[in-house]
Amino acid sequence: MGSVNRRRFFQRAGLAGAAGGAALVGGKKLVSAESEHQRAGKVIVAQGARAAHGSAHGGQGAVGTVDHERNGFHPLEVLTDFDYGEVSKDVAGRTVRDYEFVVANKEIEIAPGVFFPAWTYNGRVPGPSIRAIEGDRIRVRLVNTTEHKHTIHFHGIHPANMDGIPGVGEVGPGETFVYDFIAEPFGTHLYHCHSHPLAQHIQRGLYGAFIIDPKKGRPPANEMVLVMNAFDTNFDGANEVYAANTVAFAYVNDPIPIRKGELQRMHVINVTEFDPLNSIHLHANFFNVFRTGTSLEPSEFTDILSFVQAERHMVEFTYQEEGLFMFHAHQTEFVDLGWMSFFEVS
Amino acid sequence: MATSVRNRKSVPIAIGFVLLLVTAAVGLFKIFDATVSLRESPPVETLAFERTVFDEGTIEVQVRNDGPDEVIVAQLLVNDSYWNFEVTDRELSRLETATISLEYPWEEGLPVVMSVVTATGITITHVVEAATLTPDADASTFVTYALLGLYIGVIPVVFGLFSFPLLKRISKPWLGFFLALTIGLLVFLFIDTVVEGLELAGETAGSLDGVGLFVIGALLAVSGLMYLEDFLGRRKSGVSTSTASRGLVLAYLIAAGIGLHNLGEGLAVGSAIAAGEVALGTFLVIGFALHNTTEGLAIVAPMGGEQGRPSLWHFAGLGAVAGAPTILGAWIGGFLFAPAWAALMFGLAAGAVAQVVWAIGSSMRGEMSLSRGLPTLGFLTGLVVMYGTGLLVA
Repeated sequence: MGSVNRRRFFQRAGLAGAAGGAALVGGKKLVSAESEHQRAGKVIVAQGARAAHGSAHGGQGAVGTVDHERNGFHPLEVLTDFDYGEVSKDVAGRTVRDYEFVVANKEIEIAPGVFFPAWTYNGRVPGPSIRAIEGDRIRVRLVNTTEHKHTIHFHGIHPANMDGIPGVGEVGPGETFVYDFIAEPFGTHLYHCHSHPLAQHIQRGLYGAFIIDPKKGRPPANEMVLVMNAFDTNFDGANEVYAANTVAFAYVNDPIPIRKGELQRMHVINVTEFDPLNSIHLHANFFNVFRTGTSLEPSEFTDILSFVQAERHMVEFTYQEEGLFMFHAHQTEFVDLGWMSFFEVS
Repeated sequence: MATSVRNRKSVPIAIGFVLLLVTAAVGLFKIFDATVSLRESPPVETLAFERTVFDEGTIEVQVRNDGPDEVIVAQLLVNDSYWNFEVTDRELSRLETATISLEYPWEEGLPVVMSVVTATGITITHVVEAATLTPDADASTFVTYALLGLYIGVIPVVFGLFSFPLLKRISKPWLGFFLALTIGLLVFLFIDTVVEGLELAGETAGSLDGVGLFVIGALLAVSGLMYLEDFLGRRKSGVSTSTASRGLVLAYLIAAGIGLHNLGEGLAVGSAIAAGEVALGTFLVIGFALHNTTEGLAIVAPMGGEQGRPSLWHFAGLGAVAGAPTILGAWIGGFLFAPAWAALMFGLAAGAVAQVVWAIGSSMRGEMSLSRGLPTLGFLTGLVVMYGTGLLVA
């Protein structure tokens, strides 16, 4: 979007997405409703909200559906498919996790019918969610099949020669490099390409989750990775599509199924380019915040959390009622442009 | 005799041969397209938004693919929000049109920005500065547009014609002043029409070549009016002995030129209301009316120097020729507006005005010559008057 359009939008923020506004009011209503009537009311209101965002004519949202099979990844699977690598032990008895990341150009459908010329790690955006335990040895072999130079730069603690920046661990077309380091500290981290121009290499899709569990472990929970990303489809330096895990409105068409009463642990990572800030807001609930996932005790109890670029946090929450619950960025213009989702609690 | 027969036969044969050659050349180019190897670059996707119709809670947009490559309509952004829509044809090849319709709670007087997001992620944006209900093409709006045309076109021109008795009583140099004033008015109109016309030409779908249409319109008007002048002149000199003939012919020519210009003016007003891009107030109508009164003066000026008075029917005729096209223009603008049509019509108007300036200029000789003092003053006064009354419309 040009800056003029953006300005226009801010002038009339209330006009756009009247359906979104209505749905929001509906969501708020749920909280204050009497508990006896709550369940029935919730389902009706939430479904109404979903209809307004879904395929109903005249509402907000994208028209049609994305062919996830052609993309090769489904946002519902991206949530939970942690990649533990090929596990072995070295002579010292330390756990070694081996990965192969292939950088390839790939056209992906990020909104129904809208194709983006992405750069991918292993054919998907976001790339594989690396999962390890604090102290494990990580070995990632990077293979570059493209015409540009690329790297993997991990957020974590590692030697300078493993940093994955221009000139250090950067691989040209057809070349390979092995990143070899110890996973620390525990927390919710990320990796991304650090070749220049930097914004271009990130916004094209070269990023992913890097989750390090504490040695002591954490209480059992349903764990999910949510990468908040966006796409500048017309390459004008501003995003046309916003999403959670790449596909606009993906969790509106396919709400995330979760269980009532079960602890939910979500690793939320912001890789949005061009906008300095993104956020997550849960409807009708609050969550515990573990900043950068680097502590075992929560530091905050809230229903909205902000993230600058590359900022990530671990959040935990539990739904005590069944129904559809909305969650989305509270930059409402991102909502209008695709960053809108639902949990379906059963 | 034998030669002419051979010639007559050989003309169609020659034409046929040339056509055959051209067809063959085009065919060969299509088969062995040399530019294919150059087309590795991304597709050039463009859409022209030709008509936007606002109804209660709904918007309908007609788009045309005016680029060289196919355009696939994937999503629609309305005021920076993805919005549900229906489209008659999602995949548009060159020059194909489609209608996008959506339910949207648009608000009167506020801007609506629509962007088509294509399959490749390109956004093609159309801005409506102020949304307003598009009038239905029913009888009452038809009459409203006609009245509007009457107000800004016919009535002021007729008022201007009333200056005829005054023109009868003045001396030759002063008549020169008024003729030169007319030229000044028309030169201003010419510039105005060219600027507006080229602006509209720019909005035309690229492959329809708005500037080309404008130029064709202009040349059509010039050659048409030259023919008309010649035809009327020959008829008058042959049949009638009226001494008013030369002036009357010129008056009709000016009326026709101004009429074509007013067609464009009506088009501008009608389409502005229909497109919802200008909130047309009484002020605009008053401005146009004052502006057009001077056009009536321009029409009668060449008859001032001649003996006698043409019949009142001629005055009615002149008023109708010059003013009535405004009504037609308002109808076309209101109900059928497309920038391509407008470019052509503004071209016609520009050509007509230019031709009329030439005709009046060549009729001014001796004491009325444009290089004399009073006529020069008249010319400059014409420009200033037009500028002044134009301020009322701006």
